[in-house]
Amino acid sequence: MPRQISGQPAWQASLLAIACGLVSCAVVVGIWEMAGRDSANPVTQVLPPPSQFLPVLFESDFKVGLGSQSASIYQSVMVTLIRVSLGMAIAFVGSIACGLLISLSKWSELFILPLLGLMAPIAPIAWVPLALVVFGVSNLTAIFIVFMGVFFTLTIATVAEIKRIPAPLLMTAENLGGGSFNRWRWVIIPAVLPGVFTLLRLNFIAAWMAVLAAEMTGLRDGLGTVVMTGRNLFNSDLILLGICIIGITGFAVDRLLLLIQRKFFWWQV
Amino acid sequence: MATGDHSQTSGATPPIIACQALTKDFSRGRQTAPILADVNLAVDPGGFVTILGQSGGGKSTLLKLLGGFIPPTSGQVLFHGLPLPGITPKIGMVFQENTLYPWLTVEQNIGFGFKVRGKQPAQYRQQVKHFLEHVGLFSARQLYPHQLSGGMKQRVSIARSIAVQPDVLLLDEPFSALDIQLRRRLQGFLSAIWQDMATTMVLVTHNVEEAILLGQRLIVVGDRPGRIIETVDLSDPRFRDRYDARFLALQRHLEGVIEADAYMQDSRLPSHSAEMRSTIPNPAFNPSPKT
Ligand SMILES: Nc1ncnc2c1ncn2[C@@H]1O[C@H](COP(=O)(O)OP(=O)(O)OP(=O)(O)O)[C@@H](O)[C@H]1O
Ligand SMILES: [Mg+2]
Repeated sequence: MPRQISGQPAWQASLLAIACGLVSCAVVVGIWEMAGRDSANPVTQVLPPPSQFLPVLFESDFKVGLGSQSASIYQSVMVTLIRVSLGMAIAFVGSIACGLLISLSKWSELFILPLLGLMAPIAPIAWVPLALVVFGVSNLTAIFIVFMGVFFTLTIATVAEIKRIPAPLLMTAENLGGGSFNRWRWVIIPAVLPGVFTLLRLNFIAAWMAVLAAEMTGLRDGLGTVVMTGRNLFNSDLILLGICIIGITGFAVDRLLLLIQRKFFWWQV
Repeated sequence: MATGDHSQTSGATPPIIACQALTKDFSRGRQTAPILADVNLAVDPGGFVTILGQSGGGKSTLLKLLGGFIPPTSGQVLFHGLPLPGITPKIGMVFQENTLYPWLTVEQNIGFGFKVRGKQPAQYRQQVKHFLEHVGLFSARQLYPHQLSGGMKQRVSIARSIAVQPDVLLLDEPFSALDIQLRRRLQGFLSAIWQDMATTMVLVTHNVEEAILLGQRLIVVGDRPGRIIETVDLSDPRFRDRYDARFLALQRHLEGVIEADAYMQDSRLPSHSAEMRSTIPNPAFNPSPKT
């Protein structure tokens, strides 16, 4: 099968991929709905099928929560998305800048890289309590957590990508008369961008989980809060609705990042 | 076999680039291997020197030394009579590997020398257009390197290097990966550039025909350690004709020289050398005229 797919034009292959994905989803939902028919089924009592939890969205006028705490689903999605994108954007720019600075000298590499290596494996969720203490319940907390989850890995990646640049590319720039600042700007930065962005995309899931964890444990708005509200109200419909939106939004962002990568950071050095 | 002073130039003008007693060792683990040993070479201003040798013989290393890209182990490179401190835009280099910037179009790659010097695009647009036309890539100016054929890439690399007008252009096997037709077209193209721009050229190749056709002087680098084993003066226009008897005789002679050198390397038996030497086709001409 894969051989056949690769022989087809690109759009046909991607259409096939989308169609297959949709079929898979439909099959899962179908089985789920079938199981949900039997109201005595203990599994679907906890995991109500989409036909049960989706109407919650419309009944409540797209609002979740009680009284003054309630927020529209749209708002929750936006809040979470803004937090993740801000945190990732700051981490992306910051780690490229730091990576460049670190690779300026052999010594800074030797001294700083081990520290980064120690920081990188810390799960972003582990920063949640600290961030809550320092920044309180605010957007800053969420952004900080995303940043911490991505920054160290990306900085290490930037340093590695700079090392990976083929020497002739840099020599050519110098040979053509480029000073060191212009070589940074016109060779090193463009050469490392695609690799670092790819890693950013791969780390998005970690950042996404970190924000949701923060929203579930401390913050008062965002997608994670939807799930927690469901928990507090013992409302499985709401929990599943939240989970569903988290899945779909996360998938959409991943596709968006892929699109950005293909459009703006497509080259390979 | 030619011996003696290879650094001798044919003209009276001082050499534009020269090297004296140049050696280069590379360390492999704990050992150091001599790659080049005692290379003396002098290139006349406006000259065209071709360096011929087998793969792994140290030709690229020699060229990188001449351009100041790597430091010699001993000896020195002189540029305009002064020791060469390092990489300089006055000595352009077309590397053996592809060094086009994959994120830039053909046009941007050719203009890169201006951009990386901090010039604004408006200041160099005309020059880039001129060189695009010069190398016949005007219609391909919006393409990216991965969309180009091998020959187009080489033309872009050469155009990018000559656009900043170096005094000397070093070319490391620029046409090796190309088929024979394209190779011949680009050889003609390079010759034309050399005549138009009066740039001094040093071209490395392992193709005997190419070395004879393009060069004003030809140098054969032997293997392990790399050293000059033969110098041939090619200023005679008959060497531009690949069917001329003189051309063919020289081609056969040089192929023999290279083969003999390789054979001696492989067998590592000094006793073979005399035997091998006698098998070198010995044409009627003297390969290294001293006049
Ligand atoms: N940076 C390096 N470190 C160690 N050894 C090297 C290095 N560069 C080249 N060498 C060695 O030097 C020798 C000559 O290499 P060089 O690239 O100069 O050969 P060449 O004549 O250009 O060959 P080719 O025709 O295949 O390009 C090779 O044996 C190679 O292994
Ligand atoms: Mg080489």
